[in-house]
Amino acid sequence: MNAIEVRHLKKSFGELQAVQGVAFAAEKGEILSLLGPNGAGKSTTISMLSGLLAPNDGDAAIMGHSIRTEPEAAKASLGVVPQDIALYPDLSARENLVFWGKMYGLRGAALKTRVDEVLDIIGLRDRQKDAVGKFSGGMKRRVNIGAALLHKPQVVIMDEPTVGIDPQSRRHILDNVKELNRQGMTVLYTTHYMEEAAELSDHIAIMDSGKVIAYGTHDELIKLVNGQTRIDLTLNVEGADVLDAWKVVEGVNGIDSTDGVVTVLVSDSNLVLPRLFEAAGKLGARITSVDIQEPNLETVFLHLTGRALRD
Amino acid sequence: MKILDLAIKDLSQILRDKKVLLFLVAMPIVFTLFMGFAYNAGESGDENADTRLGLAYVDPQPDSRLSQMLFARLEESDALKVIRLEQAEALDSLRRGEVVGVLVIPSGFGEQDAGGTFRQLTLIAESNSSDGQSLYQLLRVPISQLMSAVEIASISADVQGSPAEFAPALELAWAKWDETSRLERVRLERATARVEESWFGDNPYNQASPGILVQFAIMSLVTSAQILVNERKTRTMQRLMTTAMRPWEMVAGHLLAMFGLVFLQTALLVVFAQFVLGVNYLNEPLGTLLVSVAMCLWVAAMGLLIGVLAKSDDQVVLFSLVSMFLFSALGGTWFPLEASGGAFAAIGRLMPSAWAMTGYQNILIRGLDLSAAWLPTTILLAYAFGFFLLALWRFRKMEL
Repeated sequence: MNAIEVRHLKKSFGELQAVQGVAFAAEKGEILSLLGPNGAGKSTTISMLSGLLAPNDGDAAIMGHSIRTEPEAAKASLGVVPQDIALYPDLSARENLVFWGKMYGLRGAALKTRVDEVLDIIGLRDRQKDAVGKFSGGMKRRVNIGAALLHKPQVVIMDEPTVGIDPQSRRHILDNVKELNRQGMTVLYTTHYMEEAAELSDHIAIMDSGKVIAYGTHDELIKLVNGQTRIDLTLNVEGADVLDAWKVVEGVNGIDSTDGVVTVLVSDSNLVLPRLFEAAGKLGARITSVDIQEPNLETVFLHLTGRALRD
Repeated sequence: MKILDLAIKDLSQILRDKKVLLFLVAMPIVFTLFMGFAYNAGESGDENADTRLGLAYVDPQPDSRLSQMLFARLEESDALKVIRLEQAEALDSLRRGEVVGVLVIPSGFGEQDAGGTFRQLTLIAESNSSDGQSLYQLLRVPISQLMSAVEIASISADVQGSPAEFAPALELAWAKWDETSRLERVRLERATARVEESWFGDNPYNQASPGILVQFAIMSLVTSAQILVNERKTRTMQRLMTTAMRPWEMVAGHLLAMFGLVFLQTALLVVFAQFVLGVNYLNEPLGTLLVSVAMCLWVAAMGLLIGVLAKSDDQVVLFSLVSMFLFSALGGTWFPLEASGGAFAAIGRLMPSAWAMTGYQNILIRGLDLSAAWLPTTILLAYAFGFFLLALWRFRKMEL
């Protein structure tokens, strides 16, 4: 039995088809990442798995319990770390954890012990009496995660838990995820940071426009681009004409421009790069920086969609 | 158990703000004192004030025996304050409202000693006013008796064939009338009905206390309904949805917190009114408890609905204030519905606040027993159930 099994989930908001028949599975004890840009449908998928949204079609099971027919049993196996901080700012870290522990059915000595354990896990035991509203963004994120771990869920869903925090807190959270997984928890992790997906995941599902467009291990996904190299370039001018010229350069397999950075996918950078310089020079433009990267998940996304992951 | 945990969390959040205590307890007490004082000032006020009807007595011949007899009898009355004045001065006093009427003794009134025709006296007063009518009634009897005594003395002098018999016969007849009057078979007292007394009983706080209690119970929604809005704002409601807690349990938990808050406030105000202001809620303790519980449930259910409907703190304040003014004004918490017009009172009696007031006033003013609390309690519970169903329906449709 898989810990998470998603079967053709669909969700529409009016005309917008946010999730269009998504299917994937996560085995017990693995970390599965949903990777995709904003608006790809990751959070909608997570919301359906968490019981916040009812799917229009399809189903999903958490530890074998259908989210449609056994929602309470499915939720009991689940710990959800929402994307937004979902805590009471006027209550202390400990009071928040105690309250959420009670909501997960913990009582008495078991609750106290578990709250102490979780405070140790998130590294905030010495600040447990401070109101959460006074915490930094990173500390709030850690309490936000801690509140989902109190009942020792078999499956933890984390919706972009590192958005907008400092590198130190980010590192702490990623280490926590690994530790939880080491203890046997299955983790469904959504992110639009490919480095996080690459570092954490046993499997990765890449989502775009409400669909899973690729699924596999990190290495399996990299193989999809057949060793193509990604080159990020910047120009000294607005380069619409240059982009059109580069699209037809021999050896260029994909091109996209975001925030002044042009990303080009090529088979052989040594061969193609001089051609790019030449084409730009003919239009009176100069290349001001070049960054050649080995194939990664960003390359895979660009290869599959023709757009950069950061779009 | 989770319902109770959620309610305790809500109450702990509300009560940790010390300003809330000011809002929940101090302000209602101040307003109760203020309103009670205002109602009291609307009554006669000074218990020692002279409430006798003022009568100006105008007599050009004050030394005549008949005039002295009449003046003395009128002065004896507990209901009249008789002042001798000149006619012009008396009319001025009447215009200024210092006296209710002017009794003008006609010229030659004393000459009836000789058995002449009884000259007509004139009473100048506002005939449409209750005071004018009262004065007329107070004067009619002694003047009739004096006329009768004069008639008897005149007949007696005629029978004896001696005009000298007139004076002793008059004295004798007058003395008999005086004696008869003192038998007090029917005693006419000056008693202006104080309509307010039927509204307040013997204590103006009988209106002020339950009125402010109901008004501020509704006002407390500002605090309690904000909890629900904040739950949505802080995304904690969404997080609750991801636990195994069912929607109805969440609604019930918040309802319980709101009920607890309003009931705590009500209990404190009842205790204060009972022991400090002498408002006798303990006249029927079970009745007071039933009405209070039902009223608090209605208010809590309404707070839940406001919390579900409002999208921001500003809307919570707006909806709560509108509810407070609507239910307070129409429901008779500021003034008794008995004092308002027919249509207003009829609309007001549809309000749950009016039923809460009726429940309390049945106990406080009308002195009724427990049976008089059942109908208001039942109607308030029906309102509470209706508001709860609306809130639950809206909660299920709420976009989180």
